[in-house]
Amino acid sequence: MALPKRQTDIGPPKYDQFLPPIIKKNYGKWKYHEELSGGTMVHVAESGDKLYTVRVASPRILSTETIREICDLSEKYCDGYLRFTTRNNVEFLVSDQSKVDPLVAELKQKKYLVGGIGDRVSNIVHTQGWVHCHSACTDASGLVKAIMDDLHEYFTTKELPNKVRLAVACCVNMCGAVHCSDIAVVAVHRKVPTINHELVPKVCEIPTTVASCPTSAIRPNPKDKSVIINEEKCMYCGNCFTVCPPIDIHKPEEDGVAIVVGGKVGSLRTDPKFSKLAIPFFYNEPPRWPKVVAAIRNILETYEKNAMKHERVGEWIERIGWESFFKLTGIEFTFQHIDDFTFARDTFRTSAAFKY
Amino acid sequence: METAELQDKIFAYMEKMKGKKKLKEKDVIKALAEETSEAPDTVKKALRGMIDVGRLMYSYGGGASSVEIPSEEYLREKGLIK
Amino acid sequence: MSGKYKTPMLDELEKGPWPSFVTEIKKAAKKSSMADDELGQLEKSYKTKRGYWKHGGIVGVLGYGGGVIGRYSSLPEEFPGIAHFHTVRINQTSGFFYTAKALKEICDIWDKYGSGLTNMHGSTGDLVLLGTTTENLEAIFAEYSSRGWDLGGSGSAMRTPSCCVGPGRCEWSNIDTLDITYTLTQEFQDELHRPAFPYKFKIKTAGCAVDCVAAIARADMSIIGTWKGNIQIDQAEVKKYADKGMNIQAEIIDMCPTNCMAYDGKTLKINDVECNRCMHCIAKMTKALRSGKEKGATILIGSKAPIVVGSLLSWVIVPFIKADAPYTELKELIRKIIGWWDDTAKPRERIGEVIESEGMRPFLEAIGVPPMPQQVKEPRKDPFFFWSESDFK
Ligand code: HEM
Ligand code: HEM
Ligand code: HEM
Ligand code: HEM
Ligand code: SF4
Ligand code: SF4
Ligand code: SF4
Ligand code: SF4
Repeated sequence: MALPKRQTDIGPPKYDQFLPPIIKKNYGKWKYHEELSGGTMVHVAESGDKLYTVRVASPRILSTETIREICDLSEKYCDGYLRFTTRNNVEFLVSDQSKVDPLVAELKQKKYLVGGIGDRVSNIVHTQGWVHCHSACTDASGLVKAIMDDLHEYFTTKELPNKVRLAVACCVNMCGAVHCSDIAVVAVHRKVPTINHELVPKVCEIPTTVASCPTSAIRPNPKDKSVIINEEKCMYCGNCFTVCPPIDIHKPEEDGVAIVVGGKVGSLRTDPKFSKLAIPFFYNEPPRWPKVVAAIRNILETYEKNAMKHERVGEWIERIGWESFFKLTGIEFTFQHIDDFTFARDTFRTSAAFKY
Repeated sequence: METAELQDKIFAYMEKMKGKKKLKEKDVIKALAEETSEAPDTVKKALRGMIDVGRLMYSYGGGASSVEIPSEEYLREKGLIK
Repeated sequence: MSGKYKTPMLDELEKGPWPSFVTEIKKAAKKSSMADDELGQLEKSYKTKRGYWKHGGIVGVLGYGGGVIGRYSSLPEEFPGIAHFHTVRINQTSGFFYTAKALKEICDIWDKYGSGLTNMHGSTGDLVLLGTTTENLEAIFAEYSSRGWDLGGSGSAMRTPSCCVGPGRCEWSNIDTLDITYTLTQEFQDELHRPAFPYKFKIKTAGCAVDCVAAIARADMSIIGTWKGNIQIDQAEVKKYADKGMNIQAEIIDMCPTNCMAYDGKTLKINDVECNRCMHCIAKMTKALRSGKEKGATILIGSKAPIVVGSLLSWVIVPFIKADAPYTELKELIRKIIGWWDDTAKPRERIGEVIESEGMRPFLEAIGVPPMPQQVKEPRKDPFFFWSESDFK
């Protein structure tokens, strides 16, 4: 069958053809919004028009079959208009109030989770993991599923002092930018890679391999036409493996995940913050990573109990102090917690005022 | 200079550099603009023309993109040779 | 076709209330042996706790240098269906708005040429199609582009710009995030598809400082909507919040970072000169407070993930710029910023890293922005500063 003629440099289709008429009419003229439940909200325009949003969870990996089902639902209840959120939720954009409840009912009956709006846990931003990436030292999708199965009530109904934003990165490249999340899981390698000296000369370009190492830990070994890694300098980033697969970074029995906390991206009240190390390591325990799940629940519940209204996790911790955070959560403080990387000295305490 | 002539010069340069250095698009434009005294934009256009028809191609490695002479495998895949 | 593999580990992840990615892969596997082999390999990963993907192999469509990400199983004999399992990045729409009709068409094409699996969406913003073979790429591109969909960026090129929902559905938006993103995506088609940069370059646009796209944390250029002038107060609505039980003193006044608000039980006052426009009060009292009338954007530069020397958040470069269509000033500024970076960076240096190594001054001079206190948290504390000839005039 003949293919249609390709076009180049056309960019995406213009957004306005996908906007429901009510948005086109009230574009940029919204007055306020109200949360109606954990997963529904209404935006009211200056004209008085009302747009209802129904938000549901998605695993981000979607089959075409499920996308079609979502499309069918949107055709049935909101003229086929829908959108996705930055955090990979699906939103039905309903202009007719009488259709909201039936839509929610059908979604629930089809086992969709309606939620993620307001001071709750929203969907977890995550990356590819074992599903699709060479670099992964854990599976992002599996962790997300296990964590959210445990926390689903915080998505649908239960309220928290403020929004809590979770993320999972399947290696230190952190493709999904987890470095500013309230609570995030980052997968880490912990051992220097092993070199297959027979394969290296056949597969790899030595200068590229040497140059790939951010800490200059790799130098050429002309005798074997291979390379040597300085174990003192290596910080297990896996860049060399990316360039030269015979340098194997995977150590399945030693790889695992760390938990970082206290980041945020909004400027509300306090400046955006990076997440900081809370727990340096858990072994990978597929399929459900029970220890990681329990640790996240512990941090979340300690925050829920102790934070003031509207405080994000990082704001709460800064108010009480990190020493109190470790005490309240019962998390052990280790050498790994003390920074020895690029910005280390900024993190050492320079005051005699602190808590026990 | 005729575009075809400029493109031949670009190709000759690419052949000369093959295996020596990974060339970014900018490296090629700079070298040829110097060699031929054509404006960089003219060289860029000529280069793009070659990439569009598969005489040259974009490649990726070492975390950076570069320009290369396509392999036979690539040309076959794109149906440009049998 | 499906069900070739027993997957006891993954089956565990079909239990529980959260939607299951395993169920999604199984649904796709009913129609596609690629998806079935993906399932088989993933089960193996769960057993052995390691991935089996290879990086590399140059794949793409004729004329473009990005948009397709080569992916190969390192166990092609065991899992032949995913010997090739490339990712195709498709430009998403601004704000991720779709119609059922458009999405179904996207699905139909994908079922024909790929695994039937997608990411809605990838972290770059693109609509991600997961898993196809090298032979299918030209056909996929012809099918999608002829229907108005283009590829996203990868490699040393610009990434598809992305943004928050903005004026489409948010009362806080100070700028037209959807239109800015669409316009910039069109403006930089060449930079997106033909990698000529030192490294990647991402632009993300948020309508206000709440920053729902995390622009400040994951874009080389973060455009964040802001305003000048007084916050507009509707005292009647303030009273309604109080009547409904909001503790205005504790929740609003005491949490204002600049202590510029006061409330005597009747009237809410804001000393706007001291307000740093953090959005807290507006977000909590959306019916009562609206941002000031003069709208524009703050331009911040440089954020990136921690590889290799540490993460960066974007830095304020231009405190306030007008951002109205056709965005001429904004486009010119972006061209200057990219131009300086392109001329100055070593290969694989993000713009934030280049500013760190070269210093802020050469960057600001090159793009013609004067020094302003809004650009820093505090001035330097060391006396080791440099003087240029131009300072002696
Ligand atoms: C990684 C960081 C974040 C991401 C990816 C994110 C994503 C989102 C998304 C997708 C929405 C829905 C907006 C839409 O309709 O498209 C949203 C709404 C919102 N976000 Fe965020 N957000 C992040 C961080 C924050 C932070 C730090 C705050 C506040 C401190 C915040 C406050 C809000 C508010 C107030 C809304 C609108 C109201 C609502 O939906 O309840 N978000 N965010
Ligand atoms: C010497 C070989 C290679 C090295 C050192 C290398 C290194 C890297 C690095 C450092 C990144 C992250 C930076 C970035 O996103 O640009 C990356 C990402 C990536 N690499 Fe490679 N790579 C190599 C070969 C390849 C090859 C042959 C492909 C083939 C298709 C490839 C495809 C990708 C893709 C698609 C990404 C995703 C990030 C993106 O560009 O959006 N790499 N690689
Ligand atoms: C050495 C460093 C890095 C390597 C080797 C690398 C490699 C990759 C690869 C291979 C993918 C494709 C995954 C797939 O779909 O198969 C990817 C995706 C991606 N990368 Fe990276 N990356 C690196 C660093 C980064 C950094 C620093 C960032 C961001 C600042 C980043 C952002 C992304 C994004 C946004 C995606 C899409 C991920 C998704 O949607 O799941 N990468 N990367
Ligand atoms: C070009 C730069 C500087 C010069 C030439 C300089 C010179 C001096 C000199 C001559 C002394 C007296 C030493 C003595 O008699 O024991 C001194 C003391 C001192 N300097 Fe500096 N200094 C410089 C920069 C700095 C900076 C940047 C700092 C701190 C941020 C600093 C902090 C001090 C302190 C704390 C003392 C001791 C004061 C005291 O004994 O009460 N100096 N400096
Ligand atoms: S975070 Fe690491 S493992 Fe995950 S997609 Fe990015 S590069 Fe791959
Ligand atoms: S893992 Fe990273 S730090 Fe260690 S040798 Fe390889 S590139 Fe260098
Ligand atoms: S960033 Fe601001 S304008 Fe954009 S959706 Fe979020 S709250 Fe609204
Ligand atoms: S926007 Fe922030 S700084 Fe300004 S008045 Fe409101 S709470 Fe205070």
